[in-house]
Amino acid sequence: MRIDYKISDKFDFKIFIPATLLVVIGLAAVYSATLNNPAAVNNFEKQLLATAVAYVVFFIAYSVPTNTFKLISIPAYLLSLLFLVVVLVIGRKISGAKSWLAFGPFGFQPSEFAKIGTILLLANFLSRLNNNIDSFKDILLALAIGFIPIGLILLEPDMGTSFIFISLILVILFWKGISLLGLFVVLSPGLVAISSLFGSVPFIVSLLIVLVALFFFKKDLFFSGSVFAINLAAGFFTDNLYNALSPHQQARIKSFIDPMSDPLGTGYNSIQAMVAVGSGGIFGKGYLQGNQTQLQYIPEQWTDFIYCAIGEEFGFIGAILVISLFLIIFLRLLNLASTTKDEFLSLVVIGILGVYFTHFLINVGMVIGILPIIGVPLSFVSYGGSSMVSNMFMLGIVMNIFRTRKNYA
Amino acid sequence: MSAVDFASVNRKSILYGIIILVFAIFTIRLFQMQVLNHEMYDEKSAGNSIKPIEQIPLRGVFYDRNLNVLVDNIPAYTLRITPAYYDTSLNKVLDKVLGVNPGFVQSILKRNQIYSKYIPIRVRRGIDFSIVSWLEENSEFLPGVDYIVEMQRGYPYGVMGSHLFGYTKEISAQQLEKEKDYYKPGDYVGHNGIEKQYEKDLRGEKGFHYVLVDSRRREIGRYKDGEKDKESIKGKDLVLSIDGDVQKVAEEEMRGKKGAVVAIEPSTGEILALVSSPEYDLNQFSYITSKDFLEELYSDPDKPLFNRATMSLKPPGSTYKILAAIAALDMGVITPSTTIYCGGGFTFGRFFKCHGSHGAVNVVHAIEKSCNTFFYQLIYKIGLDKWKEYAMKFGFNQKTGIDIGEEAAGFIPDEAYYKKLYGENWPRSIMASLGIGQGEVSVTPLQLAKYVALIANDGKSFRPHIVKGYLDNKTGNIVPYEFEKINLNIKKEVFDIVKEGMFLVVQGAGTATHLRNPDYHISGKTGTAQNPHGKDHALFIGFAPSEKPTIAVVVVVENVGFGGTHAAPIAKKMMDAYLLKDKLKNKKTTEVQPVIAGAQIED
Repeated sequence: MRIDYKISDKFDFKIFIPATLLVVIGLAAVYSATLNNPAAVNNFEKQLLATAVAYVVFFIAYSVPTNTFKLISIPAYLLSLLFLVVVLVIGRKISGAKSWLAFGPFGFQPSEFAKIGTILLLANFLSRLNNNIDSFKDILLALAIGFIPIGLILLEPDMGTSFIFISLILVILFWKGISLLGLFVVLSPGLVAISSLFGSVPFIVSLLIVLVALFFFKKDLFFSGSVFAINLAAGFFTDNLYNALSPHQQARIKSFIDPMSDPLGTGYNSIQAMVAVGSGGIFGKGYLQGNQTQLQYIPEQWTDFIYCAIGEEFGFIGAILVISLFLIIFLRLLNLASTTKDEFLSLVVIGILGVYFTHFLINVGMVIGILPIIGVPLSFVSYGGSSMVSNMFMLGIVMNIFRTRKNYA
Repeated sequence: MSAVDFASVNRKSILYGIIILVFAIFTIRLFQMQVLNHEMYDEKSAGNSIKPIEQIPLRGVFYDRNLNVLVDNIPAYTLRITPAYYDTSLNKVLDKVLGVNPGFVQSILKRNQIYSKYIPIRVRRGIDFSIVSWLEENSEFLPGVDYIVEMQRGYPYGVMGSHLFGYTKEISAQQLEKEKDYYKPGDYVGHNGIEKQYEKDLRGEKGFHYVLVDSRRREIGRYKDGEKDKESIKGKDLVLSIDGDVQKVAEEEMRGKKGAVVAIEPSTGEILALVSSPEYDLNQFSYITSKDFLEELYSDPDKPLFNRATMSLKPPGSTYKILAAIAALDMGVITPSTTIYCGGGFTFGRFFKCHGSHGAVNVVHAIEKSCNTFFYQLIYKIGLDKWKEYAMKFGFNQKTGIDIGEEAAGFIPDEAYYKKLYGENWPRSIMASLGIGQGEVSVTPLQLAKYVALIANDGKSFRPHIVKGYLDNKTGNIVPYEFEKINLNIKKEVFDIVKEGMFLVVQGAGTATHLRNPDYHISGKTGTAQNPHGKDHALFIGFAPSEKPTIAVVVVVENVGFGGTHAAPIAKKMMDAYLLKDKLKNKKTTEVQPVIAGAQIED
């Protein structure tokens, strides 16, 4: 064993530095976005504190023995479920969703930590299977691990976080090597469900497509019938689910179809966000000089719409810098996932990549007006203690895996 | 379809592809928004946060010729409703509090439905302070209801001037459509009289204060510390030719009567007073005019909204004899010494009677005595078309072009008219009546005022007008408006002769000797317009002082009888107010002017 190893061999600066730069840019943007808002006057200090805590958590996660993650996967998952149930009972309602657990002056969002528990258990479960998850039972079990927290989160209701879970489940299953049929079985109910939101004609068309696909997979009648029944049920279930959604969420779905239909209502945020980013120009209006940001055109901009502040005040240069930093992290994680020999750890890395990437995709996509307004924060950048701590926790996990990557043959 | 290996190279490539694709799409989109379409977003962003707040300028005030304030601006409370935040179940409560008919608030809201529901609607102006305090106390239960302090018109000199001043009113949808560059819904515009005619001078120029607003449109400060603000420019303060005291006397004298009074300065054409009676209360228009009040005005049989001074058409009666005299003298068909014998009437086809037997009268005495016989015959010497030509010279049969809008042209017949009516052999006997101002002659009081002004000033004057100019607030000087000059090109001697007759009407043995007074001489002519529907209309035209006239007056009182009795005393009081202004003010007494003699019967 060599003692004088290079530090970069144990500590992946190519992930850590971009992430830390994002944290710094995020703090600057949160400061700017909250500067003139009396309701958010302490938010910058709170975020600074949360960031400090998050780095401590990061170093703990980085330092522990790597097999810890496998060991804690079941308790972490069960604890996540417990908190998700508790938050439904005694949680505090913040902007329409019961997602917040308060402990005196501190509080956290269980759904942020449930991501970690779910990734760990799902990776653990799948890594035990022998390169084959085509058995219907295995798929159902894997889906159950993923969908129990989703069900609880939808009850809060927090649609954005549910999307993150769906995405991480799909990415992990995909990485594990699920067959096209398996992917079809997992994906089709979701697609049918979304089609049914647009009316009965798209719903029927999507069902027809499912029928045609089932014909090509040439499975037995029982299997095909079950899958079709699940799809049919998903469509009807979505209709009920839609009706069960809170009015503001229904309005958000509607306004995605046509954001200009109600420019002062639900389409408002989308329009103002685009105006903020677009008016930033190439070099931006200058730090603390963005009128959209400083005049609070977008409610609670420091959370889900923080990217507007960056786009407005730092312009195209700043906006590209931020997405480039994310790009470096994503490619680095993908590389780590594919070079890690241990299947469990590889699946964990890919699950974390899925979480980061989906946050990035939905958040930036909605700010620049190519995706509907779905409230998810931008990892490392947005205001929010729980999100910051959980993101740095996950960063600690992947850096830990990088640290010990050579221990597995 | 077999399972694929864990973490296959293929699947890595797919994920790699997705990541790069999303990055590429975001980059292109950001480039499109921030580089290509930057200007569009920038414009929106600027419009978003900088809100122009309209600064409504003070409307110009009206001074009279002696710079007494006749119309000014006084602060008043206006109740407003912003429909976006308002709960219509409050309609009934507000109706009750405002003391208006049930359904009033609802009807106002309905009328304004076409505009954005975020624009506050003025529901009622000039609300009582008690209502304001009620609003304050209950503001939390009254979403979308507020009040503002606005300027409304006040009339401090005690002059009504309803047909003169006109009123301001919320702009109509039609006018808004035409002039949307300047006006916004809810703006007040002049609707009548001077307020309408001089709207562009009076309104001034709106200013804008630029303020920064947040996303809820709350103001959070001045934009660039007001550097870009444009202050409103106050409307021009108009100086009217009206004499407040004369106007006031005329209004008082006409109260309870129907008719019109016009006083004019002969040398300038400046209107000193203009009254149409009955009047209406302009203060009522300072509020959001209730439908009831308007309906009341419209349905009143005395037609208070009708401007009798410029619109009512009547035969001028004997006051028109002067015109024939001038025409005949100017044409040379008679000389001052030409006499016509009056034996109590004149026969032309039928008998036209005079109100006495005046014997052989010349033109001066014919005017003095208002001898019909003389003028029956005179018009035949002049000829109908020549007679009309002179009428046209004095401005009859056409609008005077006075600066308060609505006006009637009147009618003077000519040969072509009768030929058309009766054919080539039209009965020439019709002309006799025309000679004494009866029959198919119709004139407005304003036309008569112009006519008497021209007589008093020997055929030279200016187009009748009410606004002299505006007051330059910096220099304190009056900047005059230009009005067209009139010169009839009739010899002064002609006017001297008819004026001698008019002098004798009062100072001699004429029909208005009761106007004689020790302070100054009055010249005039009484008249009575035949009214087929009831009692005759009384007329008087006159000017004073006779030697160098500074005021000419026309008085028309409807359905009362003889001009000398009912119209002439009003003219006298107005002349007193104008000519004896200082004397009356110093004395501060209201001496009763003794009536020296009763009016003589004429016609």
